[in-house]
Amino acid sequence: MTLRLLPTLAVWAVLAVLPMLLGPWELAMFGQLLIYGIAAMSLAFIWGQGGLVSFGQALFFGAGAYAMSLTSKGMLPGIPDSPWLGLLLAVVAGAVFGGLIGAALFFGKGLRTAYFGIITIAAAVIAERVTTNWRYIGGFNGLLDVPPLPLPGGLDSADPFAGYLLVLGFALLAFLFLLAVERSPYGTVLRGIRCDERRIMSLGFFVPLWKVLALAISGGVAGLAGGLFATQFSFVSPAVIGLALSTEILIWAAVGGKAVLLAAFVGAIIVKYMESYLSETIGNYWLLVTGIAFIAVVVLFPQGLLGRFFALPQPRRLRRD
Amino acid sequence: MLEIKALRSGYARGADVLKGIDLKVSAGERLAIMGRNGMGKTLLAKTLIGLIKPSAGEIRLEGKPIGGLPAHRISNLGVAYVPQGREIFGDFTILENLRMGVIGKPGLGMERLDQIYDWFPILRERHAQRAGTLSGGQMQQLAIARALIGRPKLLLLDEPSEGIQPNIVHEIAEKLAAISATEGLTVIVIEQNFEMVEILAERVAFLENGLITGESPTARLIAEPELITQNMGL
Repeated sequence: MTLRLLPTLAVWAVLAVLPMLLGPWELAMFGQLLIYGIAAMSLAFIWGQGGLVSFGQALFFGAGAYAMSLTSKGMLPGIPDSPWLGLLLAVVAGAVFGGLIGAALFFGKGLRTAYFGIITIAAAVIAERVTTNWRYIGGFNGLLDVPPLPLPGGLDSADPFAGYLLVLGFALLAFLFLLAVERSPYGTVLRGIRCDERRIMSLGFFVPLWKVLALAISGGVAGLAGGLFATQFSFVSPAVIGLALSTEILIWAAVGGKAVLLAAFVGAIIVKYMESYLSETIGNYWLLVTGIAFIAVVVLFPQGLLGRFFALPQPRRLRRD
Repeated sequence: MLEIKALRSGYARGADVLKGIDLKVSAGERLAIMGRNGMGKTLLAKTLIGLIKPSAGEIRLEGKPIGGLPAHRISNLGVAYVPQGREIFGDFTILENLRMGVIGKPGLGMERLDQIYDWFPILRERHAQRAGTLSGGQMQQLAIARALIGRPKLLLLDEPSEGIQPNIVHEIAEKLAAISATEGLTVIVIEQNFEMVEILAERVAFLENGLITGESPTARLIAEPELITQNMGL
């Protein structure tokens, strides 16, 4: 085992022992931070690997949150009101939204760089407007009383201890999944696309398809985070699908480190925790401090604060014949 | 193997730089296309591999029309391209760069890796090294190896001698000529540097103002070097 694995293992070990150290309230709050961490990883995957800066990541998060809420509240005709099915559909909804937006943007002429970001902003704004005005899905007020996920032994995810462990399990699963994709040949191609699309095309790759797949994977993971959010917060509203949350996800990934999954994950936890701490200590000025800190980090540490710390060694297959 | 008829192409619509290229290349042949800067050599390469759509004319590979097909489809039909300036992935290891030559090709794996390492032993020695840290000559070998690992039928090289010291140019040219002879690989090399052409190519076509203005066996150009300057308009 190499020393460079230690920070990564330490993060998961600390998160695993937190239930022994924190009270129920703090544990519930930390569980929610982990959900934001999953959303940050979903963005770090397409941004850091594929060079696709999505300004509308909350669109996939929100799609997952609404899919979870509508399913588990029995509001989708012909679909059983199972929270676990809801979570599965949250992943599917995020992936489908990601895939469809990717297909619309990348097939045909194909949008690149800033244009991709601009369109994702517009999509997030449109989605927020649509959910605000769509009464069936709760309109401006959203949907309340989203049921928790039932767990073995008569428990459910509303229990702080069980809920935390459930979210932690999904966070680890999302991390391992995205890491495996990153380190597969597909991940290598994605990084190649980030370097130079035309070069990749002349090597036999149909670039739009690879990018659509990346957006679908990212959307699916963001959808999972959205589904967990809906069940842990027991509600969903248009705020989870719009520009404000999209910007926050972008900040988390940028501060932590967009090219390293765990850096983005921990970045989300730190920024969100600091927000909470600052809003209690300096009131409304917290937003100003957060904004200045974000600008400082982006200017001084373009790779994020934690990227180097959590960067993992190369896969073994790339270190030998 | 490759037949080009009345090919017209340009970087902008209505502004053709190539004004009717006619060229035939036989299977296993090694052809050089020589010309001064700005005559359309790189444009011709990019049009052949599908990065730029021709505005008129025909390109046929083994009798099948490929003009206007997207780059990934032409690549998968067996046309490999080594671009000007190498364009390897500097942040990737050498092994990752080589993998990029096969991942996009259905049914191909890394079976040819040992053969590639035999042809270019320096790549075996440094397989885990970041490609951006290689010298210019080593990068060129990597770019050629990345193209060859995908088992192409036609290898298209754009100015492979650019920025490389003469002894390495000789070495690469000799190696490519040997690979072409043993594998039956068709090679088109776009060059300004006759040092590479005289070793690698059997025939030379001259490109001037978007047209093929002359052709000659390489042996004749070696015997009568003044023909090179005449044909290149120097």
